[in-house]
Amino acid sequence: MNTATLRQVWTIAKLQLRRVFFAKRSLWVYLLALFPSVIFIGHGIDATLDKNRWASRITPAAVLDSIQTGETDEAVLARAGTPINDRRWRHREEDREHRYLMYYDGKRRVNLSFESGILQGRSARTLIDFEEDRLVYAGVFQYFYLRLAIFFGCLGIFMNLFRGEMLDKTLHFWFLVPARREVLLAGKYLAGLIAATLIFTIGATICFGAMLWPQDPAEVQAYWQQNGPSHLFWYGAAAALGCVGYGSVFLAAGLLLRNPIVPAVVLLLWEGINGFLPAMLQKLSVLYYVQSLCPVPPPMDSDVPALMRLLLAPAEPASAGTAILGLLGVTALVLWSASRAVRKLEINYGTD
Amino acid sequence: MTSPEIVFEEVSKFYGDVLGVNRVTLRIPPGITSLVGPNGSGKTTLMNLMTGLIHPGRGAITVRGLSPRDPERLMRITGYATQYDAAPRGTTGFQFVSTGLLLYGYSQTEAERRAWKALERVSLTEAADRKVAAYSKGMRQRVRLAHAIAHDPEVLVLDEPLNGLDPLVRAETIALFREFAGQGRHVVLSSHVLQEVDVISDQVILIANGTIIAEGQIRSVREEIHEHPSQFLIRCRDASRIASLLFEEDYITEIKLNQDRLGLLVWTRSRQEFSRALTRIALDGHSIESVLAGDENVDALYEYLIGGGR
Repeated sequence: MNTATLRQVWTIAKLQLRRVFFAKRSLWVYLLALFPSVIFIGHGIDATLDKNRWASRITPAAVLDSIQTGETDEAVLARAGTPINDRRWRHREEDREHRYLMYYDGKRRVNLSFESGILQGRSARTLIDFEEDRLVYAGVFQYFYLRLAIFFGCLGIFMNLFRGEMLDKTLHFWFLVPARREVLLAGKYLAGLIAATLIFTIGATICFGAMLWPQDPAEVQAYWQQNGPSHLFWYGAAAALGCVGYGSVFLAAGLLLRNPIVPAVVLLLWEGINGFLPAMLQKLSVLYYVQSLCPVPPPMDSDVPALMRLLLAPAEPASAGTAILGLLGVTALVLWSASRAVRKLEINYGTD
Repeated sequence: MTSPEIVFEEVSKFYGDVLGVNRVTLRIPPGITSLVGPNGSGKTTLMNLMTGLIHPGRGAITVRGLSPRDPERLMRITGYATQYDAAPRGTTGFQFVSTGLLLYGYSQTEAERRAWKALERVSLTEAADRKVAAYSKGMRQRVRLAHAIAHDPEVLVLDEPLNGLDPLVRAETIALFREFAGQGRHVVLSSHVLQEVDVISDQVILIANGTIIAEGQIRSVREEIHEHPSQFLIRCRDASRIASLLFEEDYITEIKLNQDRLGLLVWTRSRQEFSRALTRIALDGHSIESVLAGDENVDALYEYLIGGGR
């Protein structure tokens, strides 16, 4: 490619970018990218409000840890003081009084359950658990961003680059300019890639920030000094490479097929059964590579069935280098097929 | 040296099982050429073929020596105003034309200068900053034309370009086509408003069911189709007597006598023989006031050729 061709690719991409970013049909892509942030922000606000509300009624952790099953509620109240929550009710049939006392030690919320005035059980839950929240983020990233948001976001963005314009009867605008079809394809792909990458990496980064925001500043600082920057980088890289891979697939699908549901279902199935496929075929999957780049494995409950476990986890993660090169290889192959298809693409909006 | 013509050689195009055009062979010289035919006849298919929007199943096309499969070179010399709006939602007329020019490699300043000039040529400067979506049908037609001429093409292809234009703008637009054609460029347009074609075209291509049925200057086309009778209106005092004399000639196919008995409508297979016969009749002392060709406009041609003729 010479300079003039590169300039033409960039001009096409710039013009196309405006159409991608400001199209009405892009709205749901933004919503997909930002949805998890809303949940994390909601969680953060809720926890912060609780912390502030209970700040004046903190019970020392040592006192709470010393409370034993079998103690009376009066004894607990005498030792631990006024709880942050005190609820009681009577079971009509059993004719026993139940009481729940909730205490806060500055980090944990401790629930004490009494029956007829005797402590029967206790549970504690950390209000903001950094370790747990990072695992939740890893799960959200892999199960929501990679498998749903980036997949369907790229479907929406890249399928529309050609097929959407064919439906809008505007594709001839691009075909009637002095540019080779491959250059047009490259420009449009670049526009879709910039848009999708920005939307999803920014979405995932905002979500990451929303996860960190309510955490203990000291823990966050320690995290930033250790794995934080590397984790953020690899999440961003995985999101961007997801857009690279899925973008190329859906761009090609938009050139070859009329109905976006068909490639979406086929690819979703293919990606879904990836764990069952032979090693060679696993490498023909976008998810296989981008999952391998994720820095934290997603949480998996021990009671998840083995079949589901296979579907959700990559069989044998590739190294970062292999994952990046493999994904770029798959993308190059798909884009090469797309360039052949775009050369043959004809515009026929209807009869003359 | 490259050919200055647009050449179709045995070109066929099918959309699946549906015929687009069949075995079309054409040489279109510079000037204004009109493609005339009913809806679905293949006019737009021919235009799409010559601009590379579709590709022929067989045959070859060159536009001034360039292949439509080479858009990089072809579209530098070609402007095509299709029937469809290509402007993205929310774009003004000026933005639509100027952004198109950026793809030709012009700088922003040069693209804006050319866009403004093109909009001036189609009398759309006052509405240049309004959104294309708010334009009337005629204004959309003009902004598409501005988009097609903005890079000063040698070949201008226009699909139904005069649709929806008011008479004044129509006259200006036709003048623009003539100016382009006068500079040795191609102006290829389609129309089914036959009077327009009749007035503005240097040559006409009649197409029906994907097949070219006639091409050339309107008069030449008429002469080419000698198997169809020509129509003449004769004003004379002794219409019955002249009708009986003409009926003796075997190339006369039909004669209608006017109700006022001062005129005849005659159909002849040979214009020359008919002319000679009329001269003889006049020399014999029969008074003939005037002879008018009744079918040299495209309406008549169209009726003959496409509507089945007589």
